[in-house]
Amino acid sequence: MPQRTLRFRIRPDGRVEERVEGVEGDACLGLTERLESSLGSVERREATSEAFSMRAEQTQPLSVEHH
Amino acid sequence: MSHFSTVKTELRQRQPLLAALRDMGYSPEEGARQVRGYRGQTVEAELAVAMQEGGDLGFRWNATNGAYELVTDLDLWKQPVPIERFLAKLTQRYAFNTVLAASAQEGFEVAEQRDCQDGSIELVVTRWDA
Repeated sequence: MPQRTLRFRIRPDGRVEERVEGVEGDACLGLTERLESSLGSVERREATSEAFSMRAEQTQPLSVEHH
Repeated sequence: MSHFSTVKTELRQRQPLLAALRDMGYSPEEGARQVRGYRGQTVEAELAVAMQEGGDLGFRWNATNGAYELVTDLDLWKQPVPIERFLAKLTQRYAFNTVLAASAQEGFEVAEQRDCQDGSIELVVTRWDA
């Protein structure tokens, strides 16, 4: 059962930055859409270091196809 | 000649706007309200904060922009901060309340909340997915 974690930073001028930790799921997207309808725009930072490392591992087998 | 000024905002929804005003210590009233300005002039707004001193604060729905606009008599501005600071603070509280409400609606719970030195608010929400 994966835990979805979202980290928001609400700037003093009202701008909102959203950072997804771990793997992004539909729940995160649903929340982002809700926010955008109310806020207009949300700055997204999807690739945390954790997400990067997981993505790197997932892409490794693909390089085999280049032989 | 009217003394009222209108200021465009990005405030699109009523509930987080009401919550933001309450966070800042105001008591907003809903429904068609008369906003009072210079020499008893009034203008109508959907939402207003009646002030003891100075002009009232009104919020009028602007269908073209899909957002509320602030309507007030700037000559009578008596808030503790200038209007730019007031709107920035209001917009931050609006965004904070929006994030809180949307998170709860999507089943997320607040795990952490803190005020940062630069005036930002950091909020961490989590949810366990089956």
